[in-house]
Amino acid sequence: MTSDTPAGRRFRVFNRRRSAPSRARRRLGAAARMLAALALAGGVYTAFAPGAFAEDTRQLSASAQEGKALFDNSCITCHGRNAEGVEGRGPSLIGVGSASVEFQVGTGRMPMTRQEAQAEQKPPQFDKAQVKQMGQYIQELGGGPQIPSGDLTTSLEQDPKALAAGGELFRINCTSCHGFGGAGGALSSGKYAPSLHGATTEQIYAAMLTGPQNMPVFGDNELTPDQKREIITYVKMQLQDDKDPGGLFNLGRYGPVTEGLAIFVVGITILVFAALWIAGKS
Amino acid sequence: MRRRKLDLAQVPANVGKGLDDRYKAATPLRGLLNKVFPDHWSFLLGEIALFSFIVLLLTGVFLTLFFDPSMKEVAYDGAYPALRGAEMSQAYASSLDLSFEVRGGLFMRQMHHWAALLFMASIVVHMARVFFTGAFRKPREANWAIGVALFLLGFLAGFTGYSLPDDGLSGTGLRIASAIMLSIPVVGSWVSASIFGGEFPGELIIGRFYIAHVLLIPGGLLALISVHLGLVFAQKHTQWPGPGRTNDNVVGERMFPRYALKQGGFFMAVFGVIALMAGLFQINPIWLFGPYRASEVSSASQPDWYVMFMDGLVRLMPAWQINIPIGDGYVIPPLFWPAVVGLGALTTIPMFYPFIEARRLKDKTSHHLLQRPRDNPERTGLGAMAFTFFIVATLSGGNDVIADKFHISLNAMTWAGRIGLVILPPLAYWLAVRICLGLQQHDREVLAHGVETGIIKRAADGRFYEVHQPLGPVDDHGHPLPLDYAGWVVPKKMNRLGALAPAVKGFFYPVEKPAEAPVSPGMPPVTAREEREEITSGR
Amino acid sequence: MTVVKEPHGAHGAGTEPVDVNDPRLSRFDIVREGARRDDIEIVTYESQFQGVNSKAEKRVVRNIAFLFLLSGAAALVFLVFYIVWPWEFKLGVARSDYFTPILGISLGVSLLALGFAILSWAKKLLPHEVSIQDRHNTPSSDEDRLITGQTIAYLGEELGVQRRPLLKGAIGLGLAPLGLVAAAPLIGGLIQNPHKGAEPMMYHTGFDPVPNGGKPVRLTREDGTGIRPEDVSVGGQITVFPGIPHGATNQYADSPTLLIHLRADDAAAARAQSQADPINKNSMWGNYIAYSKICTHAGCPASLYEQQTNRLLCPCHQSQFLITDNARPIFGPASRRLPQLPIEVDDEGFFVAASDYKETIGPDFWERP
Repeated sequence: MTSDTPAGRRFRVFNRRRSAPSRARRRLGAAARMLAALALAGGVYTAFAPGAFAEDTRQLSASAQEGKALFDNSCITCHGRNAEGVEGRGPSLIGVGSASVEFQVGTGRMPMTRQEAQAEQKPPQFDKAQVKQMGQYIQELGGGPQIPSGDLTTSLEQDPKALAAGGELFRINCTSCHGFGGAGGALSSGKYAPSLHGATTEQIYAAMLTGPQNMPVFGDNELTPDQKREIITYVKMQLQDDKDPGGLFNLGRYGPVTEGLAIFVVGITILVFAALWIAGKS
Repeated sequence: MRRRKLDLAQVPANVGKGLDDRYKAATPLRGLLNKVFPDHWSFLLGEIALFSFIVLLLTGVFLTLFFDPSMKEVAYDGAYPALRGAEMSQAYASSLDLSFEVRGGLFMRQMHHWAALLFMASIVVHMARVFFTGAFRKPREANWAIGVALFLLGFLAGFTGYSLPDDGLSGTGLRIASAIMLSIPVVGSWVSASIFGGEFPGELIIGRFYIAHVLLIPGGLLALISVHLGLVFAQKHTQWPGPGRTNDNVVGERMFPRYALKQGGFFMAVFGVIALMAGLFQINPIWLFGPYRASEVSSASQPDWYVMFMDGLVRLMPAWQINIPIGDGYVIPPLFWPAVVGLGALTTIPMFYPFIEARRLKDKTSHHLLQRPRDNPERTGLGAMAFTFFIVATLSGGNDVIADKFHISLNAMTWAGRIGLVILPPLAYWLAVRICLGLQQHDREVLAHGVETGIIKRAADGRFYEVHQPLGPVDDHGHPLPLDYAGWVVPKKMNRLGALAPAVKGFFYPVEKPAEAPVSPGMPPVTAREEREEITSGR
Repeated sequence: MTVVKEPHGAHGAGTEPVDVNDPRLSRFDIVREGARRDDIEIVTYESQFQGVNSKAEKRVVRNIAFLFLLSGAAALVFLVFYIVWPWEFKLGVARSDYFTPILGISLGVSLLALGFAILSWAKKLLPHEVSIQDRHNTPSSDEDRLITGQTIAYLGEELGVQRRPLLKGAIGLGLAPLGLVAAAPLIGGLIQNPHKGAEPMMYHTGFDPVPNGGKPVRLTREDGTGIRPEDVSVGGQITVFPGIPHGATNQYADSPTLLIHLRADDAAAARAQSQADPINKNSMWGNYIAYSKICTHAGCPASLYEQQTNRLLCPCHQSQFLITDNARPIFGPASRRLPQLPIEVDDEGFFVAASDYKETIGPDFWERP
C-alpha cells in the first residue's frame, strides 16, 4: 500500500510498523527458520539425493547463475532446493515464471518476514538487477509466464479508445477488490487488495498474469496482452496520474466513509465554533 | 398637468400608510419586530440545517436545468475521455456533461452533495441538543416528532438523490434497496415489482426517483420545516435557566435589529463553508464509478453517511433466516430485520420519547426552561446509549474501509461491531449517568462551600486547609451560607468572581459565564436601569 | 391591544404607558413603548463603546468595512476565474483541475467574509441588549375553551348527522368509493405482478434455453464472444453473461455469473461436495465451476474471488461464500448459498449452460420456493 494520496501517505505509518518488526526478532526468526530448513534440507537431500544431483547439472545462463546464488541465500529456506517448495512453508516455484518473481520480490512482498494472512508490501530487499536475475533463474528452472518487454501502456495517440476500453475492463475485472478509485479494499479475515496508486506498470502486469496471493489469475487467453495494456493505461493515466478535478483533496477516493468524516470534522466543527463566537458576549 | 412635487422624505411614510390601509399590517408587524429570542450557541445548530436546506434548494434547481432523468441507453461522447464510447443511461451521461461540460456544473454538484451531508449532520447534532437539554418536553412534543420525521424525509431525499446519477455506486445502492423491498414478508416481491415497474432495474426507476427527489420529498420537507419553525415561533424558544429567567418569560434579544442580523450573517457563513468544502474536497466522483452494470461492483461500496447506520446494521445482522414450513414454504430473510424493522423502529420510536418520559415521570406541566444534561442523568444516559448505538452502527457501515486502512481483519471488525452493538450502549449509559452525578455533586459542593481557590493555609494548630471563596453571603464565622441548587452554571474558578481577569478570553468564556453573576435564585432579578436609556441608536 | 396584568407582575408594567403622539419623545421612546405593548421590557440597551466615535468603534467599523471589501474582492475573483479559466476536463494534471477549487475557495471566502461582516456588525456595533418578554403560555381561558368547544359541537349538531342516520350511511357509502377512485389509478397503475406470465421474471435468467429456441445458451464475455475452457487460467475467474441479445446489459440483471477455474485439488473437493448435493449434481465441467454473481443477501455482485482460500466475498455486506462447498455462506449476513449454474462444453468447444439455474437468483423473498 504505497498510495500517493495524502491518506495513503498517512497510513504508511501503519505499514511500517507492521512490516518491520524489530531487527533482533527478524534475525531470531531467520535463524530459527534457517535451522529448521537445514534440518529439513538434510532430510530431503538424503531422500532424493540422485534427483537433486540431476537438477544441479542443468545448464543455467550466467544471469540465472547469479539468480540461483541469491535464491540459495534468501529463498531456499521456504521454497526449498531448486525451488521445489517446502511442505507447510512455501510453495514450489516451478512454473510460476519470472513475472511472479518480479512481482513478489520487486514489491518487497518476498522474502516474507513471517507467515501471516498475506505477504505485506515492504521496501524491496533486492535491486532491480538482482530481481531480474532471480526471475531468470526461476524462468529457466521451470518456465512460466513472463512480463513482455517494451512499453506496457498503450499510447493514446495510436489508439484513442484504449483508455475507455481499459476503464471498462478495469470496472468489470478489478474494481470489485481494488475499488473504483484503485484505493484497495478489504478481503476476508485480514487479507486485502492493495492500493494501486503506487504500483508500477510492470507490477500491475505481473500481478494480472500470475495472480499473486489471493488475486485471481488473468491469463493471456482471458485478457490479451493488449487488453492488459489497456487496463494499465487506465490505471496509470486515470487513477494514478490524473489530478482529481473535483477539489484540492480527493479524500483518498474511499467514497462516502471519508466524505462523512469530513462533514463532521470540517463542516460541523467550523460551524459550531462559528456559533460559539456568534452567541458569545463580546 | 403639472406633477406635484415629490417629497422624498414622505415616501416611506406614505407607502407604509398605503400598505396598512390595505393589509392592516402595522400591529402584527410590530409584534414580529419585537419578538425576543434567547441567545445561546447551541440554539444555532438547527439553523445550520435550515440554511443548508436553502443551499440545497438553490443548487438543486440549477442541477435540474441540466440533468435528464432518462434511462435510455446512449453511447457517451463527451469531454471525459475514459468513458468515451461507453454505453450508458442518459441520466448518467447528462450527469457527466453536467460535471464536465457545464461551466461550474461540477462545483454546483459538489455544493449540492456537501450541503446534503451538512443538512443531515446538523439535523443529528441539533437533535442531540434538543434531546440532552430536554427541549422536547411539553408543549413541544409535536415539534420533536416533526424533527424526527424531517430526519426520515432527509434520509429519503438523500437516498433518492444518491441514486439519480445512475452510476455504478448508485445502481448498487438501488439494487440493495430493491433487495430490502423484496425482504418484506408476504408483499415483498410485489412492492419491489411495483416500484421498479417490473424486474430490477427496469427503465422507470430513475424517472420515479427524480420526481420524488425534486418535488414530492422537498415539498414534504418544506411543509414540515415551515410547521417546525412556525411552532418555534408561536411557542417561543426555550431558554436556559439563569438569573431573571423563569418559565414564564424569554430573556434575550429582540428579533430586530440584532438577532435577525446575526441569523443573516450565520446563513452566509454556512453557505461559505459549503462552498469552501465543495471547492476543497472532491465528493462522489461519479466518472470513476462508470455506468451502472449489474455485474460490476467496487470494494468499499457505501451509502452516504446518514444511511450508513442502516447499512451497518445489515452488515452486523447474523444470518438468521426464518423458514415457515407451510405449503411450499415461506422465508423471512435476515435482511428484513435490520433494514425494514430496524429503520422503521429507529425513526419512529424516538418520536414517542417525549410522551414516554412524561408518563414515566408523571410530568404534566409545561417546560420552557432547559435542563443541563447533568441535571437529568437518566435521560442523558439514555441519549448516550442511543447515540452509542447509532455510532457503532454507522462505523460498522464503513467497517471494510476501517479494516483495510487500519489493517484489521474484516471478520474481526464484524464481530467487534456485533459485540459492540450489544455491550457499548449500556456501558455508555452507565458512564454518562456517573459523569452527570459527579458533575452535579461538584456543583453542589461549590454551592455549599464556595469556590476552591487553590490557596492552602496553615492554621495555628498546624492544620492545613484550602481557602474557599464564598459565592454568596457568609455567616458570622466567614463560612459561606449554603446556596440552593438552581440547575445552572456555577462559577468554578476564583478569577471569575473578580480576583483576576479571565485567564482565557474568547468564545469558550461566555459559555460558562452566568449572565450577571448571581447564581442563587434568592438574588433579586436583574432590574431595569433607567440611566442606560440615554445611550441609544435613536436620535 | 390590552396588556393583561398577570399576578406576578408583567414585565411590561415596569414602565408607565406613554402617549406616543407626544412630540417630545425620542424615536427610541416610541420603540420602547411598542415593546412595552408587546410585553417586552428592554432591560439593557447600551452601546458597546465609550462615547460616540470612540477609537475602538472606529477600529471595528474599519474591520467590518474591510470584510465587506474582501467579500467583494473574492466575488470578483470568482467571476474573473469563472470567465477566463479553462474548465473542460483534461487528462493528467491540467489547469482545468483547479477550476472547481478556485471557484470554491473564492466563493467560500466571499461568503464567509460577508457573513462575518454582518455578524461583526450585529455583535460589535449594535448596542448590547437584554430584553425580557412575557411568554404568555397560559392556555386560553376556560370560558374561551367552552365557547370554542360548543361552537364546534354546534357545527356538528347543525349538520344533524346524528339525527339523520340515512345521511350518515349515505355519506359513508358515497364518499368511500370516491376516495378509492383517488387511490385506484395510483395503486393500480403502479402495481405489477411479479409472477405473471409463463416465465415469471423472478425464477428465470438469461441462461434459460426455452426463449433461446431450446438451444443451450452460451456463456459469453461482455462483448458477446464465447468462452473456451482454455480462456480461463487455473486460479482464474471470469464474469460471464448469457449469450443472447442484450445478455450483458441490465435487462438481464440477474444473469451475471462467475465462471471459476479451480486448482485440481480444490476442484476435487468442490466436485465431491457438488455431487453429494441433489440440486448441484453434475453441474461442474472439469475443474470449472460457475456460480451466480448476484449475492443472495442484497443483490450486489459477490465477486471478490480469493483464489487461495476459495472464498467469494460480497463487498456490500461482507458475506463470504465457500466455493468448494456449493458456495455455502460461511460468514456475514447471507443465509442462502449462491446458485450454481450447470455448465458443459458444446460441439464447437464453447461453454454453454446445460440448463437455467435450478435455484432462485438473487436476494431472498417471502415466497421463494
